[in-house]
Amino acid sequence: MTGTIAVRVSNVSKVYPNGVKALDRVSLEVAEGEFLAVLGLSGSGKSTLLRSINRLVDPSEGTIELFGRDVTRAEGKALRALRGEAAMIFQQFNLVKRHSVLTNVLTGALGRVGGLRSLLMSFPDDEVAYARACLKRVGLDDRASSRADALSGGQQQRVAIARALMQKPRVVLADEPVASLDPALRHSVMRHIEALNRDEGLTVLCSLHDLDLVTRYATRVVALREGKVVHEGPPSAFTKALLHDIYGQDAHFDHEEVLA
Amino acid sequence: MKRCLREGGDVKPVARLTQRLTARGTALLVDALLVASVLLMAQFLWLCLFVPVAGTPLPSARDVLERLSYGALSGVAVLLAAAWQLWDRSPGTAFAAPRGHSAPGKPWDETFSGFFLLIFVELTFFTGWLVTEVDLHQLFTNFHKAEGILRGLLHPSGAVLFEGLILLLQTIYLAFMATAFAIPIAFVMSFMAARNLTRKTAKARFLYVFVRSVMNFARAVEPLVWALVFISWVGIGPFAGVLALFIHSVASLVKLYSEQIESIDPGPMEAITGTGASLLAVLRYGIVPQIVPPFLSYTIYRWDINVRMSTIIGFVGGGGIGYILKPRVDLGEWGEVGTLVLLIAVTVWALDVISARVRERIV
Ligand SMILES: Nc1ncnc2c1ncn2[C@@H]1O[C@H](COP(=O)(O)OP(=O)(O)O)[C@@H](O)[C@H]1O
Ligand SMILES: [Mg+2]
Repeated sequence: MTGTIAVRVSNVSKVYPNGVKALDRVSLEVAEGEFLAVLGLSGSGKSTLLRSINRLVDPSEGTIELFGRDVTRAEGKALRALRGEAAMIFQQFNLVKRHSVLTNVLTGALGRVGGLRSLLMSFPDDEVAYARACLKRVGLDDRASSRADALSGGQQQRVAIARALMQKPRVVLADEPVASLDPALRHSVMRHIEALNRDEGLTVLCSLHDLDLVTRYATRVVALREGKVVHEGPPSAFTKALLHDIYGQDAHFDHEEVLA
Repeated sequence: MKRCLREGGDVKPVARLTQRLTARGTALLVDALLVASVLLMAQFLWLCLFVPVAGTPLPSARDVLERLSYGALSGVAVLLAAAWQLWDRSPGTAFAAPRGHSAPGKPWDETFSGFFLLIFVELTFFTGWLVTEVDLHQLFTNFHKAEGILRGLLHPSGAVLFEGLILLLQTIYLAFMATAFAIPIAFVMSFMAARNLTRKTAKARFLYVFVRSVMNFARAVEPLVWALVFISWVGIGPFAGVLALFIHSVASLVKLYSEQIESIDPGPMEAITGTGASLLAVLRYGIVPQIVPPFLSYTIYRWDINVRMSTIIGFVGGGGIGYILKPRVDLGEWGEVGTLVLLIAVTVWALDVISARVRERIV
């Protein structure tokens, strides 16, 4: 059976104020439970696409729906509620460096825990317990009170994954989650994202530049070029030969220098 | 072939000749002006420095200006300019040449704009000398008049030491209170004055322009003037000084704070926004942790500046040590002035060292 549509992108274009057209009438449907890899050269619009889904970027045209609710026209409380449904993982981790690991995970709950107390870094006991559980899931429960910037890159990204989990989302938007990590560490981080998809049943949209990672983790792939979807299909279809067809002979998909 | 002949060669030789002559003439004029201004400037300096006017012991700049040999130097300038023309790379030639106004990639002294800049700087200096009534003659001959003051300053009297220490304490507290009042207000306003936070909506952009303008105004008005305003408002005394420094501190801190906010890493802010957090939570977790250390550093620096400023504020009645300094200056009691100046100097120096140390630790 075809499941619920988690993310529906219809005819979305984005023109930045400087005139760059980053997305050009992109349409795309992601069913609940899919692990969709977004492939493309640097500047092809991967980040813009993912960031449009939680409205860190405002699309210029078209609509995006999250579980049937329009993100593009939501404002205020409604927008915040929709953002709560989609957790984002960034290439640069984007942790609050001067705060503890535990506090960083707890910020994932800020969508549902409001009020003055949360501004004073005091969270309800059940949320703290849940944050510790999330940290345990990524194997960092012993680092809860370390400062975030004291951790290695791979560990920081795992904290970011715990923060995403803390958010209790239904969709995970991962924008090149392993691009700034040592190749040896990539699988250790990717496996946690895979677990979100497999064990939690979360829908994952993940931009990647490494063909090996794509074939290993994704259930479906879309390829972007210059803001357009140029190919779409199962990972097995994305051979080196096809990629050379799409991106030209110079694109080496196992080097992040080319595809970042 | 016909067209080529027509454009390149024999048509209107007279016109081409006049064109050439005007170019030469313009070049000569520009060079002559340039050389003349340099020569006049040299003579001006010479007269000011080395040739006092007979009868009047102090030649004013205006006198000197009247004694310049305009005619002779202009003649010399024309001759020199003509010689320069033959050398063919004079600024005048560059000016008169069709595309010579600004030639990118050329050394500055071969372009007209380079020389224009030179003349401009030179004329500014020349004008400045007149406007500020620079008088080196006085400077070098009348030292004895200030000797009394300097001797007094070097022999401080103990008479005002106690009173001075008390008021010094008041000065430090005055500066402290002004800073303390300014911190929360500047903190809140700095978010409204940060460009990166006020781009999205028209309301936010208006807020940015509004806060920035008000702050620029408040900063442009000297604390001394604010002191006069508040002295007539709340009366002579340290509180007027506190208020004056408060206004100025808010304005300066908003500028420094908001520039700091503009330079933050937007990543954490986006991450917190993405969780669906409220605006306050985004500011609290996405921005505040990044700006606390520099804010502390700026704030200590501001206190340091306020201590310095409050001595001046005291001169007009804003409390603190400046308050008792003024009458002693007026009465010429240089020994007591010396004591007070010494107290201020030591405090400012100590605060400088301490604040530098603390700020080093923080950042
Ligand atoms: N904030 C922005 N302002 C202007 N142009 C941008 C901005 N962000 C991205 N772009 C441009 O949009 C295009 C797509 O960028 P991006 O979505 O970051 O691609 P990718 O993530 O695939 O590298 C690029 O040409 C980039 O320069
Ligand atoms: Mg990107």
